[in-house]
Amino acid sequence: MSEGATILALERVTKRFGGLTAVADVSFTVPAGELLGIIGPNGAGKTTLFNVISGYYRPEGGRVVFHGHDVTGQPPHAICRLGLTRTFQLVKPFGNLSVTDNVMIGALTRLASVRAARVEAQRVVETCGLGAHADTRARALPIGLRKRLEVARALATGPRLLLLDEVMSGLNPTELAAMVELIRRLHAEGLTVIVIEHIMAAMMRLARRIVVLHHGETIAEGPPAAIGQDRRVVDAYLGEEFVLAQA
Amino acid sequence: MDSLLRSRGGALVVFGLAAVTPLVVRDAYFLDSLVLILLWGALSAAWNVAGGYAGQVSIGHASFFGIGAYAAALMVTRFGRGPWLGMLVGVVISIGAGFVIGFLSNRLKGPYFALSTIAFSQVLLIGVSRWRGFTAGGEGIPVPFRPGFATLGLGHAGWVYMALAAALLCYAVEVYLERSRVGYQLAGVREDEDAAEALGIPTRRLKVFAVTLSAALTSICGSLWAQYIGFVDPTYVFSVDLSVRFALNAIIGGMGTALGPYLGSILITSLETYLRATFSGVKTGFAGIYLIIYGTALILVVRFVPDGLAGIAARLRTRRAHA
Amino acid sequence: MDPARPLGPAQIDVLAQLAVATVLLGGIYALVSVGLTLIFGIMRVVNFAHGEFLMLGMYLAFWAFSLWALDPYFVLFVSIPVFFVVGLVTYALVMRGVIHASHNVQIFTTVGLSTVLQNVALVAWSGDFRFVRPWHLSTVLRAGGTIFNLTQVVAFLIAVALTAALVAFMRWTHAGRVMRATAQDRDAATLMGIDTDRVYRLSFAIGIAAVGSAGVLVAPLYSVYPTAGLQFVLLSYVVVVLGGLGDMLGAMLGSLIVAAVEVAGSYLFGAAWKEIFYFLLFILVLVFRPAGLFGQRGAETLGV
Repeated sequence: MSEGATILALERVTKRFGGLTAVADVSFTVPAGELLGIIGPNGAGKTTLFNVISGYYRPEGGRVVFHGHDVTGQPPHAICRLGLTRTFQLVKPFGNLSVTDNVMIGALTRLASVRAARVEAQRVVETCGLGAHADTRARALPIGLRKRLEVARALATGPRLLLLDEVMSGLNPTELAAMVELIRRLHAEGLTVIVIEHIMAAMMRLARRIVVLHHGETIAEGPPAAIGQDRRVVDAYLGEEFVLAQA
Repeated sequence: MDSLLRSRGGALVVFGLAAVTPLVVRDAYFLDSLVLILLWGALSAAWNVAGGYAGQVSIGHASFFGIGAYAAALMVTRFGRGPWLGMLVGVVISIGAGFVIGFLSNRLKGPYFALSTIAFSQVLLIGVSRWRGFTAGGEGIPVPFRPGFATLGLGHAGWVYMALAAALLCYAVEVYLERSRVGYQLAGVREDEDAAEALGIPTRRLKVFAVTLSAALTSICGSLWAQYIGFVDPTYVFSVDLSVRFALNAIIGGMGTALGPYLGSILITSLETYLRATFSGVKTGFAGIYLIIYGTALILVVRFVPDGLAGIAARLRTRRAHA
Repeated sequence: MDPARPLGPAQIDVLAQLAVATVLLGGIYALVSVGLTLIFGIMRVVNFAHGEFLMLGMYLAFWAFSLWALDPYFVLFVSIPVFFVVGLVTYALVMRGVIHASHNVQIFTTVGLSTVLQNVALVAWSGDFRFVRPWHLSTVLRAGGTIFNLTQVVAFLIAVALTAALVAFMRWTHAGRVMRATAQDRDAATLMGIDTDRVYRLSFAIGIAAVGSAGVLVAPLYSVYPTAGLQFVLLSYVVVVLGGLGDMLGAMLGSLIVAAVEVAGSYLFGAAWKEIFYFLLFILVLVFRPAGLFGQRGAETLGV
């Protein structure tokens, strides 16, 4: 896909749970090769939006168009096969399996042979800096490495668009820097990435464009510097102003 | 590679010994025990496909066993055809039943799925018991013995090899699941369905696949069993105790390992044979005693030795390697 | 004496008979299920052995009746504390280690317990069908064209009284409130300083006391044999699921529905097929209405 062409388009996406509207009429497009950030206070609907995009929820209204295909309401595994992979905020490692096996299962989405998948998995494991723990059971990993495993496993599926849900939370400063570096590197190699984050410092360093959600609606959209000054964004984060001040 | 040989080495020993035994041993009672060990092992391995590898724990596999047993018995007694045809019909019906159970596995989680499988097996039990016209109802069906391979009228040695064939079939399926793409994806489904789904794995389809495969294998063993024992009783072939038995061997031996079910079967079936020989004078009270032992074993093993015998063997191996 | 088989000739009488049968049966099922509602609602453990405690209650009534000619209603008062203790012991030996364990461990532990209890009964008392026939079983009551025996009516009244007592306990005592709080949010309860282990122990013991005494109560109305509990455990889970997983009032409504299905089914198809209804109903409810009639608290446990 050529740089600049739209890889993901959300058209008036709405998601309701009974009386609660979690996502209200959200629309934006993502050009191929972009690194988009999504921020917003807790409960703003960010993860719900990811769940709609990746097929875990069916929206009450609107469309999700990925790569020209209308993928609204399709099952997650089908959307992944089309090239869209997401990670989970509360990481979900395959606990009893080794790191390599975890990543291998991701690789098997595109590769038919187990041997080829193992080779690919070993490559991705190295790329993501997990080489020293390749044979460790995922269950035994500390949170920082689990987050990295989550990314590695998603990466192994060979996506065109990667959705990362709060991969930075719970990391110490060293791990955080490493994760930022990893994401930046993946993006430089041509991967389109959408990142949900709470840690503003990291977000400001990574994202070229940021969408701000509040109560399920987009209240602002633009480059990080502009977002930091936006009145509405500051108001939404009232009580969380320190978060913006850190940026 | 080394560990691969080692783990298959256990299988080589077990199946190799089984293959050689009829050449050396003539004692009918001993060979009978061997047939039972192999059949129970095969049945537990079949259960393991759904329970251990796919993570769909069913306490209702007797449904498929009973279908296989009845299909073979009825084909012979009612339609005058051979048991092999009955086995085929049984497999087809069991696959159908497997679709139903697979559907349930996609709707219900863990304990509720298990409960629903119990319900399913009891529906079959009651239905078959009452359908006097077709299945001879609660009286059961005696299966005649006619010598020959086509009628599965085999001698003791013949049955050992037949049971061994079934055991090897189920073992081969397990090994396939451990090394193939489908197997890895199934492991993902077992560990975390949502995560597996996000990685492009069609979880619902795979679960149904695992359950129907497990159902077909169980049904085959049920058909063989009917011919071997010579009598099909609905209150036995569809019973919950039987379903628990399939799971028990796998758990004691090591759920989710290929050889585990067979190790469990060796232990449990040998124990049962020994108890039966020792208490042969006692009447039905005996049947309950070893079930009490099994139930207690289940509670203890699942709490304190969750990896089963295979797990113990693995731990001993690593300890020796580090010594 | 099949409690669900009507005897009246005229159409309205038939309907009235079925309706009253439903209510009487529903009351009994409520008592059987209310213990499970408690245990499941608070501990969130699917106990496969629940029906076996009912079966033990039935045998208690049988032996008390055969050996000492004690009426079940008298035995009832003894059975409540007896099964309470049984519950405490079972909790300490089996359940405590299982609450925080994986689903598989819970399933196999309680399945193992179920197998053990069933076969202890089999070995000790044989698989023969036993019957408890107190005098009131043959005493017939008539009211407006409907006919029932005294046992059914008294069983119903006692069941309702015990269920009401349990509901009152949950609603108005401190212990009851603590238990309900734990049911709603286990972690919050711990943070509030509630000793959840003690809550679980008490809930389980009360739940077993309820189902054990229910067994004593229903002994005259059903045959007594080692696997008698199986139909009741599935029936109870239908009630609990219909009622919304832990809601007592919902469980009572669910009991009426299950009773109605059984009564109607027996009438239309004959009592021989009665048992099949529990199982079919169980599957149907789980497939079509897993969130219960009203709500969905705990529905995620089902996989909805």
